[in-house]
Amino acid sequence: MGSLISQINAVVAMNVKSLPQRAWMSAATVFAVAIVVAVLLAFLAMANGFQATVAGTGARDVAIAMRQGAQAEVNSVLMKEQVDLLSAGPGIAKNETGPIVSAELYVIVDGIKKASDTKANLPLRGLSEAGMKMRGDLKIIEGRMFQPGTNELIVGVGALKEFEGFELGRELTFARSRWTVVGVFSMDGKVAESELWADIGSVQSLFQRGNSFQTVRLKLDDPAALEQLKAYNEADPRLKLDIKSEADYFADQASGMSDLIMYLGWPLGIAMAFGALAGALNTMYTSVASRAREIATLRAIGFGGTAAFVGTLAESMVLALLGGLIGAIAAFLFFDGITASTLGGSFTQVVFSFKLSPALIWQAAVLALIIGFIGGVFPAWRAARLPVVVAFRAA
Amino acid sequence: MSDLYLIFKNLTRRKLRLSLTLFAIFVAFLIFGVLSSFNKAFNSGIELSADDRMVVVNKINFTQPLPIAYVNKARAIEGIDVLTWCNWFGGYYQDPKNFVAAMACDAETLLDVYPEIVLPEDQKKAFMANRQGLIAGQSIAAKYGWKVGDRIPMNSNIFSQKTGGSAWDFDVEGIYTGSTEQFDTNSVYFHYKYFDESRSFGKDFAGWLILRTTDPALNDQVANTIDTMFANSFYETSTDSEKAFNKAFIAQIGNIAMIVTSVVGAAFFTILLIVGNTMVLAIRERTGEIAVMKTLGFPAARIFKLVLGESLLLSLIGGLLGIGAAWLIIGAMKAALAGILPTLVLTPDVALTALAIMVGLGFLTGIVPALSAHRLNIITAMSRQ
Amino acid sequence: MTENLFELKKVSKSFVKAKETISIFEGLDMTIKAGDFIAIMGPSGSGKTTLLNLLGGVDQPTSGEIHFDGKRIDNLSENGLAAWRAANVGFIFQFYNLMPMLSAAKNVELPLLLTGLGRSRRKASVEAALKLVGLDDRAGHLPKEMSGGQQQRVAIARAIVSDPKLMLCDEPTGDLDRATADEILKMLQLLNREFGKTIVMVTHDPEAAKYAKKTLHLDKGEFVKEELMA
Repeated sequence: MGSLISQINAVVAMNVKSLPQRAWMSAATVFAVAIVVAVLLAFLAMANGFQATVAGTGARDVAIAMRQGAQAEVNSVLMKEQVDLLSAGPGIAKNETGPIVSAELYVIVDGIKKASDTKANLPLRGLSEAGMKMRGDLKIIEGRMFQPGTNELIVGVGALKEFEGFELGRELTFARSRWTVVGVFSMDGKVAESELWADIGSVQSLFQRGNSFQTVRLKLDDPAALEQLKAYNEADPRLKLDIKSEADYFADQASGMSDLIMYLGWPLGIAMAFGALAGALNTMYTSVASRAREIATLRAIGFGGTAAFVGTLAESMVLALLGGLIGAIAAFLFFDGITASTLGGSFTQVVFSFKLSPALIWQAAVLALIIGFIGGVFPAWRAARLPVVVAFRAA
Repeated sequence: MSDLYLIFKNLTRRKLRLSLTLFAIFVAFLIFGVLSSFNKAFNSGIELSADDRMVVVNKINFTQPLPIAYVNKARAIEGIDVLTWCNWFGGYYQDPKNFVAAMACDAETLLDVYPEIVLPEDQKKAFMANRQGLIAGQSIAAKYGWKVGDRIPMNSNIFSQKTGGSAWDFDVEGIYTGSTEQFDTNSVYFHYKYFDESRSFGKDFAGWLILRTTDPALNDQVANTIDTMFANSFYETSTDSEKAFNKAFIAQIGNIAMIVTSVVGAAFFTILLIVGNTMVLAIRERTGEIAVMKTLGFPAARIFKLVLGESLLLSLIGGLLGIGAAWLIIGAMKAALAGILPTLVLTPDVALTALAIMVGLGFLTGIVPALSAHRLNIITAMSRQ
Repeated sequence: MTENLFELKKVSKSFVKAKETISIFEGLDMTIKAGDFIAIMGPSGSGKTTLLNLLGGVDQPTSGEIHFDGKRIDNLSENGLAAWRAANVGFIFQFYNLMPMLSAAKNVELPLLLTGLGRSRRKASVEAALKLVGLDDRAGHLPKEMSGGQQQRVAIARAIVSDPKLMLCDEPTGDLDRATADEILKMLQLLNREFGKTIVMVTHDPEAAKYAKKTLHLDKGEFVKEELMA
């Protein structure tokens, strides 16, 4: 008989030709793998999208200071004196008007979530011109910026999309004051796109915060300057604030939720993969059983066991890979780019998009191949060891 | 020998295939059991909410405060049985990572509004009598090893003491349990008075008011009266039933029910394919035997029942094992997740739903092969042999 | 008991295969006396198996009548025929056709599931039948643990356990060696002589046919020769 390659070719050709006989069984395996891959990718895309939105938000050269133990912007309270004191600290970048700092208020107001038609927590951020300059990628994409000292606000594209009542020109009533949406802004897919922004003074008076703030952002000379500022903060008993780089702050905020999604997604994906594996093994054992005579006949005329082994394994891998491909395409079509919102670390809604990436698709493909390999290797082993006498047995 | 014996023997004749198929079913029901319990736990706030309990919050958002003066004004409204108020403390124990759901509430009325909080009479008295007293739920007390009589410090990530610092000292005067297993025993409550007098800002404000109406039918009327009373003030209110309030809160996290339904649906669809195919194949392999049974005089209806019985048995064994494993897993996770999902249990109705799905799955996967066995013609089957 | 167990009156049977009508029998008449042991021989395609199927009530004639024990059976419903088979016919096949997952005893018990007999009565009948075929010591064995001859004896026990009047055998020794075949045939002879079972056996083995009381030769749907044995 010819080389191993031509033997394998012959067996694979035989397997492929007999596939239609097991069409339903094989299709079930392909679908099972496809579903596993699609479910896994949906979760990974969700975690990835959330992670990209929140963790991608913070800058390395911006420090954020909060009251000790506050953990999130919403909990913090800072007095004007503390803000001034900290602004005088070392390592802070300066321009013609002095140190570049932005003292901000972060309060929660109700919005109506379109998806569920229920009230949801939306952040209303009060900030000054300095705060807006600090955020380099801020773009007004519709309308205009709010006027300082007025009850005007601008809305992030995410908030506009997921929540009701923030369309350009809409009037909102908070307590007894009327507010007008005058602009829509984007910020390169960052968390702030889920926020409402208004003038710091107006928000202070609406929420009776006098001259207090919640957080202060400080533009640093460079990321390394953070340590100097921290030391300065620790040395002054009037401060003793929690200071982090904005990047670290948002990374912390992102970790909880995206960990949860990951820890949910992978075990689920693996559990379902085991189910699909059971299906694949069933299919392949059936495939070997239904071709037992053909395989034994080939063995009888001199084919090696290796050819039967490789042929069976190849069939299983091809089925699983096909399933993985269908699953990935389905995940891409149905999940990639859809937006959703959830409660983020600051007790407010974070709007994010599901994001598939080649790395995630690769992970899912590996899972599909593992299913195909394990699902094929045992039946292939059986095929390779099939006794030749089977060929001569009665049907 | 009975039909059940025949079904069992048929089912178990190919051990490897049986174990693989059972495993696939097992996994699907495991996923169902675990995810449904999670979904239930997320929604337990809605399910367990009392019909006559209502929540009054600031109209801007429930995180904004309400003046304490509203308490007396609202109390006078007809249809209100009892009313209490609370303030979120933002508590943590020793380390900011040790989050504690702590609330400063009016101790006099708290237990009247929440009869689910079960406390021994002596502990109740001790709590009322000590303004620095605190009552802790069973599961959080177990988590941090608190015992009645302990003096514990609790920090706030929001408030600070007038005297400086964010830590308050409390005496653990009681450890409460829930009137049902699902009731959250992961919270702590202490005296609003003690908190309000000692905090550095926000004095004379409460986070929210909780009340019970004399009759759930009066809910809408009471809500309207309260909200109208405070309309056009600086602190407008929004009054909702506890159920509606909790529902909106859960919806903030996301459409968990939809995610659970999709995943479980995908898992079941997968096994429907796998098990359905396995059954068709198993019966096709037995064509000759079925023809023999028919020749011996077994009526078609009986053959139909034997095949359907086999798929039902398959689905029930796999499903019950899966639900059993889910029950064990949920039991093991309950302690670890007490902080996030204090009400995590696999409830009887989840188990019953699973049972219904098992029957449905068994029927769906068995009906096609059962019908073909029913229709099987002895002569063509024998000559094909 | 009527003298004639079976009466076939003008029985015709035809199949439609690939749009062509193939006729197996046309107006076949036949009687089988109670207590007879008939061997049916003939080349393949002569209609042996179809005749056996008609007698066994697993197939129905295109026209004509079949009477068993004075009652017409050709017009029974499918369920009626099933009940009739369960009560009156014991089948023996070339390849034994035992249920592979059931022990010898359970295989024998199978037809009793179609009767109203209680557990202890069934157990007694199964033991008696296995004893008769000499396999009472193999009751717990699975078919794959037994030789071909033993399997066929289990099949015989299964055929007689519900005490039917008629036994239909399709090449009962076709898969067995000479010595084993003779044992099986002797057993059939015993059942015919001592227990009065009416036996119809299809075979192409002239040695097997010698055990019958008479041999009918079938060719192209007609009886061409009848031999009586000594």
